[in-house]
Amino acid sequence: MTTPTLQETSLPKTAAASSRREQVLRRLDWTFPAQPVDRELIEVLPDDPDLAKPPLLFVHGAWHGAWCWQQHWMAAAAAQGWRTYAVSLRGHGGSSRPDRFELAGLRHYQHDVLQSITQLPSPPVLIGHSMGGAVVQGVLERYRSAPAGVLLASVPPRHGLGVVPSLLRHDPKMLAQALAGREVTPRTSTLYGPAMEEIEAQRHIERMGDEAWLATQQLVLPRRVPDVRAPLLVLGGELDRLVSPHAVVRTARTYGARARLFRGMGHQLMLEPDWKAVLDVTLSWLEDTVVR
Amino acid sequence: MTTDRTDRHLVIGAGSSGLAAAKSLRERGFVVDVVEREPEVGGNWNFAAENSRVYASTHMISSKPFTQFPDFPMADADPDYLHHEQVLAYLQRYARHFGLYDVIEFRTQVDACRPLDTVVGPGRSGWEVELTGPDGTEVRHYASLVVANGHNWSPKVPQYPGQDTFTGEILHSAGYKSGDQLAGKRVVVVGAGNTGCDIVVEAAQRAVSAHHSTRRAYWYSPKYAMGRPSDQVSDLIFSLRLPLRATQAIFATTAKLVVGKYERFGLPTPDHRFLETHPIVNQQLLYYVGHGAIQPVADIDHFESDAVVFTDGTRVEADLVVFATGYLIRFPFLPDDALPGQPGRPELYRNVFSPDRDDLFVVGLIQPDSGQFCLVNWQAVMVAAFLELQRDDPGAARRYLDEARDKIHERAQGGVALIDSTRHYVEVEHADYIRVLQREIRSIEGRARRAVAV
Repeated sequence: MTTPTLQETSLPKTAAASSRREQVLRRLDWTFPAQPVDRELIEVLPDDPDLAKPPLLFVHGAWHGAWCWQQHWMAAAAAQGWRTYAVSLRGHGGSSRPDRFELAGLRHYQHDVLQSITQLPSPPVLIGHSMGGAVVQGVLERYRSAPAGVLLASVPPRHGLGVVPSLLRHDPKMLAQALAGREVTPRTSTLYGPAMEEIEAQRHIERMGDEAWLATQQLVLPRRVPDVRAPLLVLGGELDRLVSPHAVVRTARTYGARARLFRGMGHQLMLEPDWKAVLDVTLSWLEDTVVR
Repeated sequence: MTTDRTDRHLVIGAGSSGLAAAKSLRERGFVVDVVEREPEVGGNWNFAAENSRVYASTHMISSKPFTQFPDFPMADADPDYLHHEQVLAYLQRYARHFGLYDVIEFRTQVDACRPLDTVVGPGRSGWEVELTGPDGTEVRHYASLVVANGHNWSPKVPQYPGQDTFTGEILHSAGYKSGDQLAGKRVVVVGAGNTGCDIVVEAAQRAVSAHHSTRRAYWYSPKYAMGRPSDQVSDLIFSLRLPLRATQAIFATTAKLVVGKYERFGLPTPDHRFLETHPIVNQQLLYYVGHGAIQPVADIDHFESDAVVFTDGTRVEADLVVFATGYLIRFPFLPDDALPGQPGRPELYRNVFSPDRDDLFVVGLIQPDSGQFCLVNWQAVMVAAFLELQRDDPGAARRYLDEARDKIHERAQGGVALIDSTRHYVEVEHADYIRVLQREIRSIEGRARRAVAV
């Protein structure tokens, strides 16, 4: 196995993030608060936790659940002293499905993440993958105490329209299923890079559930850019067909952060064979950024 | 022995407001000490505290989404309206999560504060603070004070003719802890605030008789409407941003549909429009009035030895009179001239800033028509942003306060002309106030960015 080398973009000259508008009037959350659900919050804790390291809270992407972090990342991070937690958003993984799940949107998922945060011993680093990245961006605006955020192959802040031409070319069936709010049957190469074993990939794909129709539309259509002030690490895969390297770089630019791209990797950075390289970059950045 | 802590800020009080202030300041890198007189956080919500004014049955009157801190929601497992013990547990979780227990000194009381320019020499900003803690009295110097001592603890007790000759018991609601105090008595409850209504409902359940004396007629809102917490429904109406008169008409019509004519219950018709007084949220009051368990009466005229006589001439024999007449705003540890305005009626910009001082902030001094913690959170963020501006560009901070002086009488009350009463002195309309705070935060942060750019 070859260790992927990194492609790195330079830091943009101006960081425009601070002049953004934070949403403080949350009328939708006040008048139609998210329905309470039973949430799955998986924890993998080191025997001897390093209390200088903040807890890590992982947020999965569309169609997935907390299980995708459990596969490799949580145990590996815990072995280095990190307290790791992963939440399943409503209707995903082991969390219960609310009434009218199809109308669950990003604000409901943000509610799930905030509820999980209140159960943690101290402010966590938020790590989001794909749709979870969009959720994390929203939570970081509202929850300022997070010491840092990590966006893995994250849906970009302004809109996710880039996914449409890419999937039209490569996997139009999945695109149609996704936008219709149906269960998706993606091709392996849509989600995974070439290094992934077909059998293992299929095993993960079979575990995928469905996604809320509203959330899917929100990911693609234009959105307000959240006012994120926490330090951010933005990572992506070179061969990602859902979130292109271009989109990753754009995300980093928007927040004045640095983007790092992994050669030969697809969308599933925490499940593909080179997951450890991505985790190592993440943890060493966190060591430099948040560990006192 | 004086300890120099002028690199730090002192938060006075570890109730909901003090906790929010400490969290927001620490979030932006400031070093904060918090002093709390009691051995636990929670302030008014700490039932065991001497100055707590909650009673055994106290529940929130605004629902969860309006009340919670925006970055630390109340648990999904909690009900729509939390009991005071659940609120305390929530505040404890908040303090634990944000590491605030590390910076709070419990059983420590502030005796007096003096501006440093009167102690050390002119031109010095900051405060000298005299504290009494478990280890005795000490004096410290701080860069600034964030005052969060609460405003619902010092009882406001009215005086009526003959009150001293009354042989029954007179109790301010500050001393009311549970319905046991009413059992077997003929009770008169004075005041139709939310507390007064709660107590008279408990009197209807426990006492021999319950009379409810109010100075004017009020609108009573239910806790639930259309199966949902009523504030969530009414905010939907507010969010339409209709003209005020139209909004008031919708509420009055709803009240007519749900309740009907107030006269039908023997209650006077409200002499003011909806929203012109602080909302009273009580679903049970009218129920007990309709069942004859609560007798509405007018304002008290005078006391006799064994009875209360009301302005409409009614005479009611009573064993216990409960004054649910509210609280006075007091800062016993501050010099009289520390805050502009008259004692008990401080004139503060946005209820937080004293235009004369850049080292003194008041948080939590609001009475919203909605939840408190959410609004106080933004006050605290505003103070933290101001301290950043002051650190980076003291001149710009000074100029901000100078501009504030000219706008000091602006109130965020949603364009409603509230009835003039001490009760409404710190009243704010939640959406209006939150918009105003957001504007201030943006203005302060904009100035700070310009300061850094130079």
